[in-house]
Amino acid sequence: MRISYKLNDRFDLTIFLSASLLVVIGLFAIYSSTQNTISQKGNFDKQIISWGISLFVFFFIYALPTKIFKIAAVPSYFFSMLLLLVVLVIGRKVGGARSWIALGGFSFQPAEFAKLATILFLSNFLSRAETDLDNLKDICIALAIGMSPIALIMLEPDLGSSFVFIGVLLALLFWKGISLFGLAVVLSPGIVAVASLFGPIYFVVAIGFVIVILFYFKKDIFLNGSILALNIASGFFVDNLYNILSPHQQKRIQTFIDPNADPLGSGYNAIQAKVAIGSGGFLGKGFLHGNQTQLQFIPEQWTDFIFCVIGEEFGFIGSLFVIVLFLVLFLRILRLASFAKNEFLSLVIIGILTVFFVHFLVNVGMAIGILPVIGIPLPFVSYGGSSLLINMAMLGIILNIHRSRKEST
Amino acid sequence: MSARISLFERKKIFYGIIIAVVSIYIFKLFQMQILAHEQFDAKSSDNSIKAIEQIALRGVFYDRNMKLLVENAPAYTVRVTPADYDTSLNRKIETILDLENGFIKNMLFKNRIYSKFIPLRAKRGADFSAIAWIEENREHLPGVDYIIEMQRGYPSGAMGAHVFGYSKEISPQQLKKEEQYYQPGDLIGSIGLEKKYEKDLRGEKGYNYILVDSRRREVGKYKDGVNDLPSQKGKDLVLSIDGELQKIAEEELNGRAGAVAAIEPSTGEVMVLASSPQFDLNQFSYFTPKDYLRELFIDPLKPQFNRASMAAHPPGSTFKLLCAVAALDLGVITPSTTLYCGGSFNFGRSFKCHGSHGSINVIQAIEKSCNVFFYQLIFKIGLDRLKNYATRFGFGKKLGIDINEEVRGLIPNSAYYEKIYGKNWPRGILVSLGIGQGEINVTPLQLANYCGLIANNGKSFVPHLVKGYLDENKKFFAYKAKEVNVGINQSVFDIVKEGMYLVVNGAGTATHIRINDIHIAGKTGTAQNPHGKDHALFVAFAPYENPKIAVAVLVENAGFGATWAAPIAKKIIETYVRRSMPKTAATSYKNKIEVKQGAETFAD
Repeated sequence: MRISYKLNDRFDLTIFLSASLLVVIGLFAIYSSTQNTISQKGNFDKQIISWGISLFVFFFIYALPTKIFKIAAVPSYFFSMLLLLVVLVIGRKVGGARSWIALGGFSFQPAEFAKLATILFLSNFLSRAETDLDNLKDICIALAIGMSPIALIMLEPDLGSSFVFIGVLLALLFWKGISLFGLAVVLSPGIVAVASLFGPIYFVVAIGFVIVILFYFKKDIFLNGSILALNIASGFFVDNLYNILSPHQQKRIQTFIDPNADPLGSGYNAIQAKVAIGSGGFLGKGFLHGNQTQLQFIPEQWTDFIFCVIGEEFGFIGSLFVIVLFLVLFLRILRLASFAKNEFLSLVIIGILTVFFVHFLVNVGMAIGILPVIGIPLPFVSYGGSSLLINMAMLGIILNIHRSRKEST
Repeated sequence: MSARISLFERKKIFYGIIIAVVSIYIFKLFQMQILAHEQFDAKSSDNSIKAIEQIALRGVFYDRNMKLLVENAPAYTVRVTPADYDTSLNRKIETILDLENGFIKNMLFKNRIYSKFIPLRAKRGADFSAIAWIEENREHLPGVDYIIEMQRGYPSGAMGAHVFGYSKEISPQQLKKEEQYYQPGDLIGSIGLEKKYEKDLRGEKGYNYILVDSRRREVGKYKDGVNDLPSQKGKDLVLSIDGELQKIAEEELNGRAGAVAAIEPSTGEVMVLASSPQFDLNQFSYFTPKDYLRELFIDPLKPQFNRASMAAHPPGSTFKLLCAVAALDLGVITPSTTLYCGGSFNFGRSFKCHGSHGSINVIQAIEKSCNVFFYQLIFKIGLDRLKNYATRFGFGKKLGIDINEEVRGLIPNSAYYEKIYGKNWPRGILVSLGIGQGEINVTPLQLANYCGLIANNGKSFVPHLVKGYLDENKKFFAYKAKEVNVGINQSVFDIVKEGMYLVVNGAGTATHIRINDIHIAGKTGTAQNPHGKDHALFVAFAPYENPKIAVAVLVENAGFGATWAAPIAKKIIETYVRRSMPKTAATSYKNKIEVKQGAETFAD
C-alpha cells in the first residue's frame, strides 16, 4: 500500500490509465473500421507505432524540469505561428483544407502544435503580475494572442481547430478571473458573429442585445462606442469568413441546419452516423460485426467518426464506458488545476483540459447529431499520429505539473 | 468594480459545464441506443444505398493483322456471403458446383479476417446447370448468389500460353503493395503480357449505387442510376504476334520440348514466340482445377516454363556467325583470308571437324560449318573481345522484351574462367567456345534477335510483343520501341549473309529446306547436351535480298539442327513470305483480268 501511495503521489495513475484505456479502445475501433478498407489497412499498425513514440515523448516531458514550460512559452508560440504561415504555402491539401506539412515520410498538422504553444504563451501573459483584465488594453492583447493563430487556421481553412482555440481563449480568460463585464466584452462579438450567419435580422437583434448590456454596466461612452464598433465589425467579418470557408465546410454548416435535405450528399454522414450508433443498442453488435461500419456507410470512421464504430459495435455499454473515461480524465485534470504550484501552471492545465474537452464535445456531439459535422478527432481514440503525439505530450505536461506541485517555486 | 467570481466558483462552473455536457451526451446515447434502438436498427438493416464496385472489362489482344487472339467471354461466378450463409448447405453446394469436399469450409476459414458481408467467390466459370439449380432453389439458399463475370477466351487457335499469360486472384502480399486499386478477390495479371500490361488492361473500376433491403439483397438502382460511375474498359492491345505463324510454330513443335522465336528484323517486332509443351490457358481463365495444376507440376518437361525466352542452351554452330562478324570487324581476317582444315585441330588434344575442308575462307567456313576454321579464329579474336561483340548482339543479358519471363543466358569472359580455374586457366576451353559449345548459354529469343540484327545489318529495335493499343474509338496508338545499333560495317554483314545464303542455297548444311522462289539464309547448330541427346538449333532469315523475317528454332534432345529445327523454320518463313508476296501478285493479276473483262464488255 505504501509503495502504491508513493507512486500515485508522483504520478497520477488515474489520468494515465484512463488515457491509455481510451487509446486501446481506439485501436479496436481503428482495426474494425479499416480492415475492409484496403487503402487504410495499415492504420492499425501505424497507430500502434505512433502510440509507442507518443509514450516515449510522454515520459520524456514528464521528466523535464517544470520551469522549462515557462521558458518555452514565447519561442514555441512564435515558432508555431511561423509553421502556420508555412503550411499555407507548402501545405498538403487533405479533405479541402491545406493543413498538413509533409517532412520526408512524416507529416503533421502545425495547428496541433499551435494549440499547445498558444496555451503556454497565453498563460504566460495572463499570469504576469501586471496583467489586469479590467483593462481593455490587456484584454485586447490576450485576444490578439488567442485570435492570431485562429486567423491563420481559418485561412487553411480548418473550422474544427478554430473552435478549439476559441474555447482555450475563453477558458483561460475565465480562469484568470475576468469580470462579468470583461466576459461580456469577449463573448459578445462571438454571439454577434454566429447570429450574423443566420441572417440580417438575427444580426440586428444581437447588436441590440449588446447595446442593452453596455447600458447595464454603465461604462464611459468611449469604451461603449469602441465595443459596439467591434461587435458590428465581427458580424461583417464572419459573413466574409463564411465565404472563405471551403465548399465542403459551408455545406457541413448548412447540413447541420437540415440534415435530411440531401440524404446522399453532405447530410449522409450525419444520418448514417446516428443510425450506426442507434442500431448498436444496449450491448452493441459485437466487434467486427457492425454492418454500418463494415459496409462502410460512414466515411472517415477511423478518425472523425470513430465514436460511431464504438457505438455500433460495443453499444450503449461501450459508449458509456468511453464517456465515463473522459469524465474521469476531465475531472481529475480539473482537480489538479487548483493544486498547481503557481498561476501559470494552473492556467496551462486549464488550457490543456479545454483542448481535450472541446475535442470531445465537438466530436461526440457530431457523432450523436447534437452538433454539426466538423472534422475534429476524438482525443486518444481517433487514428492519427500527430494528434496522438501532441495529446500525449500535453498529458505529459499535466503529470509533470502534478509531480512538481509540492516543490518550492 | 464589477462582480468577480472567486476561484472556487470558477472551478464549480467548470465542473458544471463538464458534468452538464457529459450528462446530455449520456442521455442522448440512452435515448438513441435504448429508447429508439428499434427504429435505428430497422434503418440500419434496410440500409439503404450501397456503392457496388464494377470491375472494368479487361482489354483484349489483337494480333498484328487485327485478328482477335484473346477475348472476354461471359461466365457465371457463384458467390457465398458468410453473413447470410448457412454452413449446413456446404455438402449440397460443393456437389452442385463440383468442388471438393470441405472447399467451402476452408474458404470461409481463410477469409474470416475480412468482413462477413463481402461475398466470396466459391466458383468461377460455373456450369449453366448449376446456375439453373441455384435459381430454382433460391429460397432455400440464403447467402448464395451468382453474378456474371468476364473470363478470358482464346478464339484464334493460337495457344500462346507463355506470351499471353493469365490472371489470378490477387494474393494478400500483392494486395498490400497495390492497395490503392484492388480488393480481395480481384484478378490481377500473373504472368506474360497479362502481367506486364496489367495497368493498361485492367481499365478503371466503376461504381453502381443500389438500394439494398433488410437482408442485404439488391432491390433496385438508386435514383435509376443517375449517380452511377461507369467503369472504363481497359486498353485493347495490338500485339506484334502473327496469330497464324504462332499457331504453325505451336503445331510444328507438336508437344516436343522446344521453342520458336520470329522477329521482323527492321522493327524488332516479335511475330512468333512459341514454347513447347504448352499448357491450356482455358484452364487458367478463371478457375484452375487442382488436378490440372498437379499434372503441370509433375510433367518432367515443365510446360509452364517459357523455353523461348528462358531456356538457355549453348548456341552451337549458330554462334559461328558472331565469330565471323567479330573477326571481320576486328580485321583479324579479311574475306579472302584462308585457313586450313585437315579434319581436326590440335590444342592439347585433338578437336574434330565433320570433314576435311582444306584451305577455306570465311564464307565457305560458314557454308560448310567448318569447326577447324572457327577453332583457329577464336584465338585470333580473343575471349574478352568476343564477349564484347556477343553483348552488342544481345547475348548474356536480358533483351528487355515486354514480358518478365526472360533470362540473361551466359557469355563467359576471362575473368569468369579465372574465378573457376585461377590465373592460368586452360586455354583449351576456348576451342569449344569458338563453335558455340561449352559454358556459353543463349535463349531462342536471343538467337532470333541476333539473326534479325545480322539480316538488317546491325540495326533494329529491342524485341517487343506489343505494338500499341486501341483507344475507345478504336484509334491506334503505338508504343515506342528502343532502337538498337551494333555499329558494325555493312560490308561485314554482306560477307556473313552470303555464307548464310550458301548454307541453304549452296552446298551447305541445310540445302534440304531450299525453296526456289524464296531465298532463305540460315545457319544450323547442334548444342551439345551433357544430360542427354543434343539440342537441334536453326537460325534463318528471308528473303535474303530484303529480309522480312528472322527465325530461331530450338528442339531439345532431338539431334542435328539441320534435321529437326530447320524444317520448322522453313515452314514459318514460307508461310509468312508467301502470304504477303504471291497475294499481291495474285490480286494484281486478278485486277488485270477484271479490267480486261470490263473492257470487253464495253466493246460489245
